[in-house]
Amino acid sequence: MVARCSRDSWDEAAGVAAQAQAIRDRAVVLAHTDGKVWEDALAALGNAQAQDASDARRDFALEQKLERAAAAPLEIAELGADVAALAALAGERGEGTYRADASAAAALAAGAARAAAHLVQVNLGVRAGDERLARASASEQVADDAAARLLGPTR
Amino acid sequence: MSQLSTLPDAELVQRCRAGESDAWNELVERYSRYVYAIAVRGFRLSEEDAEDVFQDVFTRAFMRLETLRDGSALKPWLAQLTRRRCLDAISGSGREQSVEEVMGDEGSADMEEVEEAFAVREAVAGLSEACQDILDRFFAQDQSYRTISEELDIPSGTIASRIARCLKKLRDELEGRNEAAEGSGE
Repeated sequence: MVARCSRDSWDEAAGVAAQAQAIRDRAVVLAHTDGKVWEDALAALGNAQAQDASDARRDFALEQKLERAAAAPLEIAELGADVAALAALAGERGEGTYRADASAAAALAAGAARAAAHLVQVNLGVRAGDERLARASASEQVADDAAARLLGPTR
Repeated sequence: MSQLSTLPDAELVQRCRAGESDAWNELVERYSRYVYAIAVRGFRLSEEDAEDVFQDVFTRAFMRLETLRDGSALKPWLAQLTRRRCLDAISGSGREQSVEEVMGDEGSADMEEVEEAFAVREAVAGLSEACQDILDRFFAQDQSYRTISEELDIPSGTIASRIARCLKKLRDELEGRNEAAEGSGE
């Protein structure tokens, strides 16, 4: 919205608005995927707990489901970082009237990145030292830094 | 990218007429998706029927290329051949729906989308390789700024601006093409 309203004063505005639209389209699909893979993982965990004996095939299937349940929030965290970066750019270079809206968008995106990074962290399939933790945490940091450029430090 | 891939249609047609097989391969490569998209998206043919149309259109194009007066009109000429062949496929398939029902408003909208998508694709091909690459990564491969930054070794803070500038060039390219098309009465 900030970019769309800045077309007269900022020659990159239309390109930034197009990127925001593309990210929004991706986010809709990801949010749906995230809910689905989480439900699948939860059901698989329930089944595993209901059965006493260890079963290699079942354990493997559970592991796969947990993997997928970690992949979706990781992508959401990266998307949050991209949204925050885009919002920061729009806030800094777009029409000044809308800077507060850009700040709000950056803060929300940083919050989403933080929440998604936390979901990666608590996933049972993700262990300490896992590269996904580092990626999620880096995305959270990028989003935080972008929001801080407009709002000042948030933490 | 081969040298032929940057040739304008008129020159490509000329080379095809001269019997250069590489030029013919380039022509098929350049328009295969277009022909297929018209059949599948515009006329909603099955994959099997679309494959038949595809084969037939390029066979006819090969046989009749001499009849194409203006080589720069290759694309609309192929579109016309494809549409005719699709209509033949529909009327010969014993479908109960009429052609109008198959096309309908939605079909026309899909055709417009196909045309627009190919106009954008052609305009993208006119951009620098760096722009083509970054637009493809962001819009087609859904890569994040971080991934693009890592793979292209450019600061992540500059990615969004680079993409925006490339999109501006793309718009200029598209507008230039539209003006040229209007000027030539295409």
